[in-house]
Amino acid sequence: MKIPWSWLRTYVEGVDDLDPATWTERFPQLGLGVEGVEGEGADVVFDLEITANRPDWQSIVGVAREVAAAAGGALRLPAAVVPEAGIAAAARATVTIADPALCPRYAGRVIDIRRIGPSPFWMQERLEKAGVRAINNVVDVTNYVMLETGQPLHAFDLDTIPNAEIVVRAARAGEQLTTLDGTTHELPDGALIITDRTRPIAVGGVMGGAETEITAATKHVFLESAWFNGRQVRRTARSLGLRTEASARHERGGEPERVSYALDRAAALIAELAEGTAAPGIIDVYPEPEAERTVTLRLARIERVLGAAPPVEETVAVLGRLGFATRLEGDRLTALVPAHRRDVRREEDLIEEVARLWGYDRIPETMPAGRATASRVVASRAAEVVARDTLLRCGLTEVFTLSLVHPRVFDALRLPEGDPGRAAIPLRNPLTEEHTHLRTMMLPSLLEVLRINRTRGNADVSAFEIGRVYGRTGGQWTERKVIAIGAIGHFLAGRWNVPAAAAETTFYHVKGLLETLFDLLHVEVWDVSPTVLPFLHPGRAAAVSIEGRDAGWLGEVHPDVSAEYDLRGRAFAAEIDLGAAVARASVWQAYEPMPRLPAVERDLSAIVPLAVTSAALLNVVHEVAGATLEHAEPFDVYVGASIPDGAKSVAVAMRFRDPDRTLEAAEVESTLERVRDALRTRLGAQIRGA
Amino acid sequence: MQERIAAVRAQAEAAIRAAASPEALEEARRRFLGRAGDLSALLRGLGALPAEERAAAGKTLNDAKAALETLIGSRAAEVVVAARDAALREEALDVTLPGRRPHVGRPHVLGSLLVEVVDIFRSMGFDVAEGPEIEDEDHNFRRLNFAEDHPARDAQDCFYLDATHLLRTHTTSVDTHVMMERRPPMRVVTVGRCYRRDLIDATHMPVFHQVDGFVVDENIRFSDLKGILSEFARQLFGPETKTRLTPSYFPFTEPSAETAVRFRGRWLEMGGCGMFHPHVLEAAGIDPERYAALAFGWGVERPAMVRHRIPDLRLFWDNDVRFLRKF
Repeated sequence: MKIPWSWLRTYVEGVDDLDPATWTERFPQLGLGVEGVEGEGADVVFDLEITANRPDWQSIVGVAREVAAAAGGALRLPAAVVPEAGIAAAARATVTIADPALCPRYAGRVIDIRRIGPSPFWMQERLEKAGVRAINNVVDVTNYVMLETGQPLHAFDLDTIPNAEIVVRAARAGEQLTTLDGTTHELPDGALIITDRTRPIAVGGVMGGAETEITAATKHVFLESAWFNGRQVRRTARSLGLRTEASARHERGGEPERVSYALDRAAALIAELAEGTAAPGIIDVYPEPEAERTVTLRLARIERVLGAAPPVEETVAVLGRLGFATRLEGDRLTALVPAHRRDVRREEDLIEEVARLWGYDRIPETMPAGRATASRVVASRAAEVVARDTLLRCGLTEVFTLSLVHPRVFDALRLPEGDPGRAAIPLRNPLTEEHTHLRTMMLPSLLEVLRINRTRGNADVSAFEIGRVYGRTGGQWTERKVIAIGAIGHFLAGRWNVPAAAAETTFYHVKGLLETLFDLLHVEVWDVSPTVLPFLHPGRAAAVSIEGRDAGWLGEVHPDVSAEYDLRGRAFAAEIDLGAAVARASVWQAYEPMPRLPAVERDLSAIVPLAVTSAALLNVVHEVAGATLEHAEPFDVYVGASIPDGAKSVAVAMRFRDPDRTLEAAEVESTLERVRDALRTRLGAQIRGA
Repeated sequence: MQERIAAVRAQAEAAIRAAASPEALEEARRRFLGRAGDLSALLRGLGALPAEERAAAGKTLNDAKAALETLIGSRAAEVVVAARDAALREEALDVTLPGRRPHVGRPHVLGSLLVEVVDIFRSMGFDVAEGPEIEDEDHNFRRLNFAEDHPARDAQDCFYLDATHLLRTHTTSVDTHVMMERRPPMRVVTVGRCYRRDLIDATHMPVFHQVDGFVVDENIRFSDLKGILSEFARQLFGPETKTRLTPSYFPFTEPSAETAVRFRGRWLEMGGCGMFHPHVLEAAGIDPERYAALAFGWGVERPAMVRHRIPDLRLFWDNDVRFLRKF
């Protein structure tokens, strides 16, 4: 709302030293945000941000009232004395409201004018400063008074309404109107319109019709001032794609008292500027006048809510300056709410008024004296913090990606029709073509991160995000938190002289990250098994389970998917359900004594068919070796020269220990022999060096 | 004879001193002290001397032998050290080559700030809660005293999923869940994603983060709100930071205020706050006559931008590792 200071100043009296320069600071202290300041000194124009609860501030008078109250002055309302003559207005036009819910009050005046033309310079200048174009003296007055009082007005050329009947009603299907801007609108069913009983002549509170507008030939004016249902005005304006100064004011909510005052104020100005006289009386349809409202304030409550309170006299004075008539009875103050303060409904509203005018700055800073409680963290958040910390320690970079996607990402992932991953929740009203659905998985977001970085020459990316994915199960919306990893390029940073193969990210790096993650989350029983997923390399994909329950996947991104994201290289990814991981995580690690007795270490090298997995081989080793085998892990896997086709050599390092006695070499040797036999018979292994 | 002994001794001493390696030293030892060495030869020649000279010559010879052995011993220590030093010198590295850096992960600047914000409120005794991003109008609006026709509910501003469900527009919706589940006293903070139908530009994203907190107890006052937010701002922006509350309007608070923080010489708006409107407490079955509640909701991106001088909101979501590795 643009407020020319010189205009506002004319309504404030009783204050001599009103310096506009100080009001850049003072307006916000009253709740009027300053969005901009143009000009200097007395010519300054403030652009104020008006909160939704204060429609009365959408006017120069409304802001002047606030300035007067804050500065200790008084508001001087502009005069509204209408020169009347001739036949009564009620005899020259009629007004009917079909549905008072759409329009609680509608008032009009008939004015006969003799001079239509430009309005005087002072008025044009004020309109221009406030951002409104001057048109002619009649239309300019309606705009001027709207800016001045906040009440939108409309002037019809009465001669274009032959029957002089005004009917306010809802539009019917198929009705049309060409508005002042020359556009012809199909009026939406139920839109709030003004008719002359035969045809629409205006969209109520939004814009007038072209056929009934004021022209250079206009002699008789029907001036409208109404309180329309704000919600209906908003709906109508939206569906017509029209937003005007008038509709913006109606939408915020009308005010009954202003209707008649603004009508008279405008009629007086039109009479003055257009050499006119008004027909005696107001045509005023106001079926259910609003009752006066009082609100009671318990004085003790002020301090209880604010933590401080002004003296009683100041409270009374502050409310008085804001236009509340108050009556003090003991510890209670009863306030009669002025008509323009439709936002004040209960005690808290009055307390806010007192605080506002007394000054938020005068309220001290304290800390709550309430009972102290332990600070607890919801489990899902605590788990996220641990997982995030772990992945950061593992060397991954954290990323933040949007949770909104376009379903084309599912094509890029090669998801078949009917794949559950495609069951993304659509937004009913997306804003852009790119962001239309809630993501069902994190992979597309992470691949996009890899793509962006590769495109910009950042070849090495190891990233993670802990975020939500969304779906629908059994008619319920669902959200789950997922840990997602995406990696491409080199894993090592300073890698001169390191063989490329050793510096590059591989499937096993990503698996190692999961191993570390589960280790630090203390998830003990988990497993991976080969799997097939449309977006992963068919030979390099694994399902992850925790205690037998599906918990996610990891793998190398399918080359076709990599190509879709223009990755040019092998990319690796994983998604783990945070909830599944955390449900099985044990919070406390129990102490285990360090072994006191020495271990015996042995290696074993076996040639086995390619299809025999490392896990299968180690299972046999553990099963046969029994409890004294403390640890076994592969340390060399080799395929190639000197190994038969279809076979691989796997070397396993083993550590034997008995916690209670020293193991004899012969004993370990006999265990090893049993292991070798079992590998031969059960896996068809050929033991090397034996 | 004495002259010959002295000459050999001098020769031997020079050879020992000149020996630069254990091998050369051994060679010198063999040459002078070995069985076939020069001193041994002189020793064997003692028998040919007249008896009166023999004793003196023998003593001189033994003295020479002992002196040379001592000299060899000390020279040996020197030679070992010298050889080790030479070997170490050969192992010299180019210290200007880049180091092998441990692969350290980098947190996202927003991720770090979210953790920091939660920690600050935990230090003031707040519990940490979470809630759904997919909300119904009841929790996102109605329980927060938004009128049926409030413009904030408009499909123009919110992402709707169906007639009554939408993506939450503020984390204040979490407060409504917590207030239903728990009874006062409560001190709760929540952080998370929110959604608004904003076109993407330097200062708008359809997805953004908020931190939201509230305190419900019998004697909570607006001054406590000022105290908590001032402390929060000081911990976030430094101990000298000033906080200012100016009147504002939100349907769910009364009084309502906008919070601004003075940082690097400017007042920066950070978010809204106020005392929960009695309707909000009533909707949660909490008696507003007995209890009062302070509440606040700040953006998270804004403080991050201000503190780290990040000029464009889109950088947070761009995930260029060159940006991410700065923090």
